[in-house]
Amino acid sequence: MSSLRIDWTRCDGHGLCARLLPEAISLDEWGFPVIGRLDDASSADVRTAVASCPRLALRVEK
Amino acid sequence: MTTLDVRTGVDDTPPLFTVAEPRVFASGHPEVPERSQQWLVEAAHEVRLLGRGGAGFPVATKLAAVRRGARVVVNGSESEPASWKDRALMRRYPDLVVAGTALVGAAIRSRRMVIAVSDGASAAALRAAVRRHGAPIQVHTVDHGFVGGEVGALINGLNDRAPVPDGVRVLPHERGLDDRSTYASNVETFAQLALLAALGADAYAATGTRAEPGSSLLTLLGTERQGVLEVPNGMALRHVLGAHTGPVLVGGYHGTWTTRDDLVVDRPWLRSQGIGWGAGVVAVLPEDTCPVGEIARVADWLAGQSARQCGPCTFGLPAIAQDLASIVAGDVVDPDRLRTRLGQVAGRGACHHPTGATGFVGTGLSAFKEDVRRHLAGLPCGRPVRGVLPLGAAR
Repeated sequence: MSSLRIDWTRCDGHGLCARLLPEAISLDEWGFPVIGRLDDASSADVRTAVASCPRLALRVEK
Repeated sequence: MTTLDVRTGVDDTPPLFTVAEPRVFASGHPEVPERSQQWLVEAAHEVRLLGRGGAGFPVATKLAAVRRGARVVVNGSESEPASWKDRALMRRYPDLVVAGTALVGAAIRSRRMVIAVSDGASAAALRAAVRRHGAPIQVHTVDHGFVGGEVGALINGLNDRAPVPDGVRVLPHERGLDDRSTYASNVETFAQLALLAALGADAYAATGTRAEPGSSLLTLLGTERQGVLEVPNGMALRHVLGAHTGPVLVGGYHGTWTTRDDLVVDRPWLRSQGIGWGAGVVAVLPEDTCPVGEIARVADWLAGQSARQCGPCTFGLPAIAQDLASIVAGDVVDPDRLRTRLGQVAGRGACHHPTGATGFVGTGLSAFKEDVRRHLAGLPCGRPVRGVLPLGAAR
Protein backbone atom coordinates (compact mmCIF):
# COMPACT_ATOMS: atom_id res chain seq x y z
CA MET A 1 0.00 0.00 0.00
CA SER A 2 1.50 3.30 -1.05
CA SER A 3 1.01 6.54 0.84
CA LEU A 4 1.36 10.25 0.18
CA ARG A 5 4.14 12.17 1.90
CA ILE A 6 4.43 15.92 2.20
CA ASP A 7 7.74 17.76 2.32
CA TRP A 8 6.58 20.34 4.86
CA THR A 9 9.54 22.62 4.17
CA ARG A 10 8.29 23.00 0.58
CA CYS A 11 4.50 23.07 1.01
CA ASP A 12 3.10 26.63 0.88
CA GLY A 13 -0.54 25.64 1.27
CA HIS A 14 -1.67 26.34 -2.31
CA GLY A 15 -4.35 23.69 -1.77
CA LEU A 16 -4.34 22.30 -5.31
CA CYS A 17 -3.89 18.74 -4.01
CA ALA A 18 -7.08 18.97 -1.94
CA ARG A 19 -9.04 20.16 -4.97
CA LEU A 20 -7.68 17.39 -7.18
CA LEU A 21 -8.03 14.65 -4.56
CA PRO A 22 -10.94 15.69 -2.32
CA GLU A 23 -11.62 12.05 -1.38
CA ALA A 24 -8.17 11.73 0.22
CA ILE A 25 -6.96 15.24 1.12
CA SER A 26 -8.62 17.98 3.14
CA LEU A 27 -7.21 21.29 4.36
CA ASP A 28 -6.62 22.42 7.95
CA GLU A 29 -7.70 25.87 9.20
CA TRP A 30 -4.48 27.41 7.85
CA GLY A 31 -4.91 25.85 4.38
CA PHE A 32 -2.34 23.06 4.71
CA PRO A 33 -3.15 19.53 3.51
CA VAL A 34 -4.36 16.78 5.81
CA ILE A 35 -3.84 13.40 4.19
CA GLY A 36 -6.59 10.86 4.76
CA ARG A 37 -7.05 7.35 3.37
CA LEU A 38 -6.01 6.81 -0.22
CA ASP A 39 -8.30 3.79 -0.72
CA ASP A 40 -10.96 5.65 -2.69
CA ALA A 41 -8.53 7.55 -4.92
CA SER A 42 -7.44 6.20 -8.31
CA SER A 43 -3.70 5.93 -8.79
CA ALA A 44 -4.00 8.17 -11.88
CA ASP A 45 -5.61 10.92 -9.77
CA VAL A 46 -2.89 10.52 -7.13
CA ARG A 47 -0.21 10.90 -9.82
CA THR A 48 -1.94 14.01 -11.18
CA ALA A 49 -2.06 15.59 -7.72
CA VAL A 50 1.62 14.84 -7.14
CA ALA A 51 2.60 16.26 -10.54
CA SER A 52 0.40 19.36 -10.12
CA CYS A 53 1.84 20.60 -6.82
CA PRO A 54 3.36 24.00 -7.64
CA ARG A 55 6.00 23.48 -4.95
CA LEU A 56 6.74 19.80 -5.78
CA ALA A 57 6.04 19.07 -2.12
CA LEU A 58 4.02 15.88 -2.62
CA ARG A 59 5.42 12.46 -3.29
CA VAL A 60 4.18 8.88 -3.28
CA GLU A 61 5.95 6.55 -0.90
CA LYS A 62 5.75 2.80 -1.22
CA MET B 1 21.01 12.79 47.90
CA THR B 2 24.69 13.59 48.18
CA THR B 3 25.90 17.00 47.15
CA LEU B 4 28.95 16.67 44.92
CA ASP B 5 29.77 20.12 43.84
CA VAL B 6 28.41 23.50 44.76
CA ARG B 7 30.71 26.08 43.28
CA THR B 8 28.34 28.99 43.34
CA GLY B 9 30.10 32.11 42.24
CA VAL B 10 32.49 30.28 39.90
CA ASP B 11 29.91 30.19 37.12
CA ASP B 12 26.16 29.67 36.80
CA THR B 13 26.25 25.86 36.67
CA PRO B 14 23.64 24.51 39.13
CA PRO B 15 24.81 22.21 41.94
CA LEU B 16 25.52 18.56 41.14
CA PHE B 17 24.05 15.72 43.20
CA THR B 18 24.19 11.98 43.14
CA VAL B 19 21.74 9.43 44.49
CA ALA B 20 24.07 6.41 44.55
CA GLU B 21 27.77 5.79 43.97
CA PRO B 22 28.46 8.18 41.10
CA ARG B 23 29.76 6.91 37.76
CA VAL B 24 29.84 9.83 35.35
CA PHE B 25 30.36 12.32 38.16
CA ALA B 26 33.27 10.32 39.62
CA SER B 27 35.70 10.11 36.77
CA GLY B 28 38.05 13.06 36.50
CA HIS B 29 40.71 11.58 34.23
CA PRO B 30 39.48 8.11 33.32
CA GLU B 31 41.78 5.43 31.91
CA VAL B 32 39.94 4.64 28.67
CA PRO B 33 41.62 1.86 26.65
CA GLU B 34 41.41 1.90 22.86
CA ARG B 35 38.56 -0.28 21.57
CA SER B 36 37.64 -1.43 18.08
CA GLN B 37 34.41 -0.43 16.34
CA GLN B 38 33.22 -4.03 16.68
CA TRP B 39 34.00 -4.11 20.42
CA LEU B 40 32.07 -0.90 20.96
CA VAL B 41 29.09 -2.10 18.90
CA GLU B 42 28.93 -5.38 20.82
CA ALA B 43 29.39 -3.79 24.23
CA ALA B 44 26.81 -1.04 23.51
CA HIS B 45 24.41 -3.76 22.36
CA GLU B 46 25.01 -5.83 25.49
CA VAL B 47 24.27 -2.94 27.87
CA ARG B 48 21.44 -1.68 25.63
CA LEU B 49 22.93 1.80 25.54
CA LEU B 50 20.51 4.43 24.21
CA GLY B 51 21.43 7.89 22.92
CA ARG B 52 21.14 10.59 25.59
CA GLY B 53 19.95 13.51 23.47
CA GLY B 54 16.22 12.94 23.41
CA ALA B 55 15.33 10.45 20.70
CA GLY B 56 16.85 7.54 22.66
CA PHE B 57 18.05 5.66 19.58
CA PRO B 58 20.14 2.49 20.20
CA VAL B 59 23.84 3.43 20.14
CA ALA B 60 24.95 0.02 18.80
CA THR B 61 22.77 0.35 15.68
CA LYS B 62 24.11 3.81 14.92
CA LEU B 63 27.74 2.85 15.60
CA ALA B 64 27.48 -0.24 13.37
CA ALA B 65 26.06 1.84 10.51
CA VAL B 66 28.92 4.33 10.13
CA ARG B 67 31.66 3.72 7.63
CA ARG B 68 35.38 3.65 8.32
CA GLY B 69 36.79 7.18 8.23
CA ALA B 70 33.41 8.59 9.23
CA ARG B 71 33.13 11.96 10.96
CA VAL B 72 32.26 12.30 14.64
CA VAL B 73 29.86 15.01 15.85
CA VAL B 74 29.32 15.46 19.59
CA ASN B 75 26.14 17.45 20.20
CA GLY B 76 26.70 19.56 23.29
CA SER B 77 24.52 22.46 22.12
CA GLU B 78 21.91 21.71 24.86
CA SER B 79 19.30 23.93 23.24
CA GLU B 80 16.61 22.76 25.69
CA PRO B 81 16.45 25.70 28.14
CA ALA B 82 15.23 23.58 31.06
CA SER B 83 18.18 21.22 30.73
CA TRP B 84 21.55 21.71 32.38
CA LYS B 85 22.96 18.18 32.40
CA ASP B 86 25.09 18.53 29.26
CA ARG B 87 26.69 21.82 30.28
CA ALA B 88 27.26 20.49 33.82
CA LEU B 89 28.97 17.45 32.31
CA MET B 90 31.13 19.44 29.86
CA ARG B 91 32.16 22.06 32.42
CA ARG B 92 32.90 19.73 35.35
CA TYR B 93 33.99 16.53 33.59
CA PRO B 94 35.34 17.65 30.20
CA ASP B 95 38.08 14.99 30.21
CA LEU B 96 35.46 12.23 30.21
CA VAL B 97 33.70 13.82 27.21
CA VAL B 98 36.97 14.22 25.31
CA ALA B 99 38.03 10.63 26.17
CA GLY B 100 34.71 9.34 24.80
CA THR B 101 35.04 11.41 21.63
CA ALA B 102 38.62 10.21 21.03
CA LEU B 103 37.54 6.61 21.77
CA VAL B 104 34.83 6.64 19.08
CA GLY B 105 37.07 8.58 16.68
CA ALA B 106 39.88 6.01 16.97
CA ALA B 107 37.47 3.07 16.68
CA ILE B 108 36.04 4.24 13.34
CA ARG B 109 39.35 5.81 12.17
CA SER B 110 37.62 9.16 11.97
CA ARG B 111 39.00 11.88 9.71
CA ARG B 112 37.38 14.69 11.70
CA MET B 113 35.91 15.03 15.20
CA VAL B 114 33.83 18.05 16.26
CA ILE B 115 32.24 18.91 19.60
CA ALA B 116 29.50 21.54 19.12
CA VAL B 117 28.58 23.68 22.13
CA SER B 118 26.60 26.88 22.61
CA ASP B 119 28.19 28.35 25.74
CA GLY B 120 31.62 29.79 26.38
CA ALA B 121 32.29 28.05 29.72
CA SER B 122 31.80 24.57 28.23
CA ALA B 123 33.90 25.47 25.18
CA ALA B 124 36.77 26.66 27.39
CA ALA B 125 36.65 23.56 29.61
CA LEU B 126 36.58 21.24 26.59
CA ARG B 127 39.44 23.04 24.79
CA ALA B 128 41.62 22.66 27.89
CA ALA B 129 40.70 18.96 28.09
CA VAL B 130 41.52 18.48 24.38
CA ARG B 131 44.98 20.01 24.98
CA ARG B 132 45.53 17.61 27.90
CA HIS B 133 44.44 14.63 25.82
CA GLY B 134 46.20 15.48 22.58
CA ALA B 135 43.59 14.08 20.13
CA PRO B 136 42.77 16.33 17.12
CA ILE B 137 39.26 17.29 18.30
CA GLN B 138 37.71 20.61 17.25
CA VAL B 139 35.44 22.52 19.63
CA HIS B 140 32.89 24.67 17.75
CA THR B 141 30.66 27.27 19.36
CA VAL B 142 27.23 27.44 17.68
CA ASP B 143 24.23 29.70 18.28
CA HIS B 144 21.29 28.13 16.52
CA GLY B 145 18.46 28.14 19.05
CA PHE B 146 16.16 25.31 20.08
CA VAL B 147 15.35 23.71 16.72
CA GLY B 148 18.93 24.36 15.55
CA GLY B 149 20.11 21.91 18.20
CA GLU B 150 18.37 19.05 16.40
CA VAL B 151 21.16 16.93 14.98
CA GLY B 152 20.26 17.42 11.29
CA ALA B 153 20.02 21.19 11.76
CA LEU B 154 23.25 21.22 13.77
CA ILE B 155 25.12 19.37 11.03
CA ASN B 156 23.69 21.73 8.37
CA GLY B 157 25.06 24.62 10.42
CA LEU B 158 28.49 22.99 10.77
CA ASN B 159 28.47 22.50 6.99
CA ASP B 160 27.95 26.28 6.55
CA ARG B 161 24.32 25.87 5.47
CA ALA B 162 21.22 27.30 7.13
CA PRO B 163 20.97 25.61 10.57
CA VAL B 164 17.45 24.22 10.00
CA PRO B 165 16.16 20.65 9.61
CA ASP B 166 16.00 19.15 6.09
CA GLY B 167 12.62 18.58 4.44
CA VAL B 168 13.56 15.05 3.44
CA ARG B 169 15.40 13.49 6.33
CA VAL B 170 18.84 12.00 5.66
CA LEU B 171 20.39 10.25 8.64
CA PRO B 172 23.90 11.41 9.64
CA HIS B 173 25.39 7.92 9.21
CA GLU B 174 24.50 8.25 5.51
CA ARG B 175 25.44 11.89 5.01
CA GLY B 176 26.50 14.23 7.77
CA LEU B 177 29.50 16.45 8.51
CA ASP B 178 31.40 17.35 5.30
CA ASP B 179 28.57 15.43 3.56
CA ARG B 180 30.26 12.22 4.76
CA SER B 181 29.07 9.34 6.93
CA THR B 182 28.94 10.66 10.51
CA TYR B 183 28.48 9.23 13.98
CA ALA B 184 26.52 11.96 15.76
CA SER B 185 25.18 11.77 19.29
CA ASN B 186 24.53 13.76 22.43
CA VAL B 187 27.50 14.62 24.64
CA GLU B 188 26.36 12.36 27.50
CA THR B 189 26.34 9.38 25.11
CA PHE B 190 30.08 9.88 24.57
CA ALA B 191 30.69 10.05 28.33
CA GLN B 192 28.74 6.80 28.75
CA LEU B 193 30.76 5.16 25.95
CA ALA B 194 34.01 6.19 27.69
CA LEU B 195 32.78 4.56 30.91
CA LEU B 196 31.70 1.46 29.00
CA ALA B 197 35.15 1.13 27.38
CA ALA B 198 36.88 1.71 30.72
CA LEU B 199 34.72 -0.69 32.78
CA GLY B 200 33.77 -3.36 30.25
CA ALA B 201 30.16 -4.40 29.66
CA ASP B 202 29.79 -6.54 32.83
CA ALA B 203 31.01 -3.92 35.28
CA TYR B 204 29.08 -1.20 33.43
CA ALA B 205 25.90 -3.27 33.87
CA ALA B 206 26.50 -3.76 37.61
CA THR B 207 24.16 -0.82 38.21
CA GLY B 208 20.82 0.02 36.59
CA THR B 209 18.08 -2.31 35.37
CA ARG B 210 18.11 -5.33 33.07
CA ALA B 211 16.29 -3.32 30.39
CA GLU B 212 18.62 -0.37 30.76
CA PRO B 213 21.88 -0.91 32.68
CA GLY B 214 24.00 2.03 33.84
CA SER B 215 23.20 5.49 35.12
CA SER B 216 21.61 8.66 33.76
CA LEU B 217 22.05 12.37 34.20
CA LEU B 218 18.94 14.43 34.81
CA THR B 219 18.07 18.05 35.50
CA LEU B 220 15.72 18.61 38.43
CA LEU B 221 13.62 21.79 38.47
CA GLY B 222 10.98 23.29 40.77
CA THR B 223 11.83 21.09 43.74
CA GLU B 224 13.40 22.16 47.02
CA ARG B 225 16.84 21.05 45.80
CA GLN B 226 17.31 21.93 42.15
CA GLY B 227 20.29 20.87 40.11
CA VAL B 228 21.83 18.14 37.99
CA LEU B 229 21.71 14.58 39.32
CA GLU B 230 23.31 11.31 38.42
CA VAL B 231 20.95 8.44 39.22
CA PRO B 232 21.19 4.68 38.69
CA ASN B 233 18.70 3.61 36.02
CA GLY B 234 15.61 2.06 37.59
CA MET B 235 15.41 4.62 40.38
CA ALA B 236 11.91 5.80 41.32
CA LEU B 237 11.35 9.47 40.50
CA ARG B 238 9.56 10.07 43.81
CA HIS B 239 12.94 9.63 45.56
CA VAL B 240 14.19 12.86 44.04
CA LEU B 241 10.92 14.78 44.10
CA GLY B 242 10.75 14.82 47.91
CA ALA B 243 7.45 15.87 49.46
CA HIS B 244 6.06 17.25 46.20
CA THR B 245 2.76 15.87 44.96
CA GLY B 246 1.09 16.98 41.76
CA PRO B 247 1.92 16.74 38.05
CA VAL B 248 5.51 16.11 36.93
CA LEU B 249 7.05 17.13 33.62
CA VAL B 250 9.27 14.39 32.21
CA GLY B 251 11.57 15.04 29.25
CA GLY B 252 11.52 18.84 28.93
CA TYR B 253 9.65 21.14 26.56
CA HIS B 254 9.09 18.32 24.07
CA GLY B 255 8.12 16.07 26.96
CA THR B 256 5.10 14.84 28.88
CA TRP B 257 3.21 16.10 31.94
CA THR B 258 1.91 13.25 34.06
CA THR B 259 0.06 12.81 37.35
CA ARG B 260 1.51 9.33 37.89
CA ASP B 261 3.65 8.79 40.99
CA ASP B 262 5.05 5.36 40.05
CA LEU B 263 7.55 6.45 37.40
CA VAL B 264 11.09 5.10 37.29
CA VAL B 265 14.14 6.17 35.28
CA ASP B 266 14.11 3.46 32.62
CA ARG B 267 13.76 4.71 29.05
CA PRO B 268 12.35 1.48 27.53
CA TRP B 269 9.77 1.16 30.30
CA LEU B 270 8.83 4.85 30.17
CA ARG B 271 8.40 4.58 26.40
CA SER B 272 6.07 1.60 26.89
CA GLN B 273 4.00 3.91 29.13
CA GLY B 274 3.88 6.58 26.41
CA ILE B 275 6.42 8.85 28.12
CA GLY B 276 9.66 9.95 26.48
CA TRP B 277 12.67 10.56 28.73
CA GLY B 278 13.82 13.19 26.22
CA ALA B 279 16.74 15.27 27.41
CA GLY B 280 16.28 14.09 31.00
CA VAL B 281 14.44 17.08 32.47
CA VAL B 282 12.23 16.41 35.50
CA ALA B 283 10.25 19.46 36.63
CA VAL B 284 7.44 20.22 39.07
CA LEU B 285 5.59 23.45 39.78
CA PRO B 286 5.42 24.96 43.27
CA GLU B 287 2.01 25.85 44.71
CA ASP B 288 2.54 29.61 44.45
CA THR B 289 2.64 29.84 40.66
CA CYS B 290 -0.22 29.51 38.14
CA PRO B 291 0.38 26.22 36.26
CA VAL B 292 -1.72 27.29 33.26
CA GLY B 293 0.34 30.48 33.04
CA GLU B 294 3.61 28.51 33.25
CA ILE B 295 2.50 26.25 30.38
CA ALA B 296 1.24 29.22 28.34
CA ARG B 297 4.56 31.00 28.78
CA VAL B 298 6.52 27.99 27.50
CA ALA B 299 4.01 27.48 24.65
CA ASP B 300 4.60 31.06 23.52
CA TRP B 301 8.36 30.51 23.65
CA LEU B 302 8.03 27.23 21.69
CA ALA B 303 5.97 29.01 19.00
CA GLY B 304 8.79 31.53 18.65
CA GLN B 305 11.37 28.75 18.26
CA SER B 306 9.82 27.36 15.06
CA ALA B 307 12.24 27.47 12.12
CA ARG B 308 9.21 28.72 10.11
CA GLN B 309 9.76 26.22 7.35
CA CYS B 310 6.57 24.22 7.79
CA GLY B 311 3.05 25.69 7.70
CA PRO B 312 1.31 23.79 10.52
CA CYS B 313 4.16 24.68 12.93
CA THR B 314 4.53 28.30 11.72
CA PHE B 315 0.80 29.09 12.03
CA GLY B 316 -0.44 26.44 14.43
CA LEU B 317 1.92 26.94 17.37
CA PRO B 318 1.21 30.71 17.65
CA ALA B 319 -2.55 30.01 17.43
CA ILE B 320 -2.24 27.46 20.25
CA ALA B 321 -0.12 29.85 22.32
CA GLN B 322 -2.75 32.57 21.84
CA ASP B 323 -5.50 30.20 23.01
CA LEU B 324 -3.49 29.45 26.14
CA ALA B 325 -2.85 33.13 26.86
CA SER B 326 -6.61 33.71 26.63
CA ILE B 327 -7.30 30.83 29.05
CA VAL B 328 -4.81 32.33 31.53
CA ALA B 329 -6.54 35.70 31.28
CA GLY B 330 -9.93 34.07 31.87
CA ASP B 331 -11.20 34.99 28.38
CA VAL B 332 -13.59 32.83 26.39
CA VAL B 333 -11.81 30.02 24.53
CA ASP B 334 -13.36 27.06 22.73
CA PRO B 335 -11.56 24.07 24.28
CA ASP B 336 -12.62 21.81 21.40
CA ARG B 337 -11.03 24.10 18.86
CA LEU B 338 -7.84 24.07 20.94
CA ARG B 339 -7.87 20.23 21.00
CA THR B 340 -8.36 20.19 17.20
CA ARG B 341 -5.46 22.62 16.75
CA LEU B 342 -3.18 20.48 18.91
CA GLY B 343 -4.06 17.45 16.79
CA GLN B 344 -3.57 19.35 13.53
CA VAL B 345 -0.02 20.43 14.37
CA ALA B 346 1.33 17.18 15.83
CA GLY B 347 3.31 15.09 13.36
CA ARG B 348 3.15 17.65 10.56
CA GLY B 349 6.62 19.05 10.07
CA ALA B 350 10.16 18.27 8.96
CA CYS B 351 11.40 17.85 12.53
CA HIS B 352 10.01 16.80 15.90
CA HIS B 353 9.27 20.36 17.06
CA PRO B 354 5.50 20.53 16.29
CA THR B 355 4.93 17.05 17.74
CA GLY B 356 7.01 17.69 20.85
CA ALA B 357 5.57 21.15 21.49
CA THR B 358 1.93 20.03 21.16
CA GLY B 359 2.68 17.01 23.36
CA PHE B 360 3.97 19.35 26.08
CA VAL B 361 0.87 21.57 25.86
CA GLY B 362 -1.69 18.77 25.46
CA THR B 363 -0.46 16.67 28.37
CA GLY B 364 -0.06 19.84 30.48
CA LEU B 365 -3.71 20.78 29.92
CA SER B 366 -4.77 17.25 30.94
CA ALA B 367 -2.51 17.05 34.00
CA PHE B 368 -3.72 20.44 35.30
CA LYS B 369 -7.30 19.99 34.09
CA GLU B 370 -8.90 21.31 37.29
CA ASP B 371 -6.92 24.55 37.03
CA VAL B 372 -7.75 24.79 33.31
CA ARG B 373 -11.45 24.19 34.02
CA ARG B 374 -11.58 27.01 36.56
CA HIS B 375 -9.83 29.41 34.17
CA LEU B 376 -12.24 28.42 31.37
CA ALA B 377 -15.17 29.06 33.72
CA GLY B 378 -13.97 32.64 34.06
CA LEU B 379 -12.43 32.08 37.50
CA PRO B 380 -8.65 32.51 37.02
CA CYS B 381 -6.66 31.34 40.04
CA GLY B 382 -5.18 34.77 40.73
CA ARG B 383 -1.72 33.32 41.37
CA PRO B 384 1.16 35.07 39.61
CA VAL B 385 3.15 33.35 36.86
CA ARG B 386 6.57 33.12 38.45
CA GLY B 387 8.43 31.67 35.50
CA VAL B 388 9.61 28.52 37.25
CA LEU B 389 10.16 26.95 33.83
CA PRO B 390 13.11 28.83 32.33
CA LEU B 391 13.10 30.21 28.78
CA GLY B 392 16.47 30.34 27.06
CA ALA B 393 18.52 31.35 30.09
CA ALA B 394 21.83 33.16 29.71
CA ARG B 395 24.57 30.95 28.32
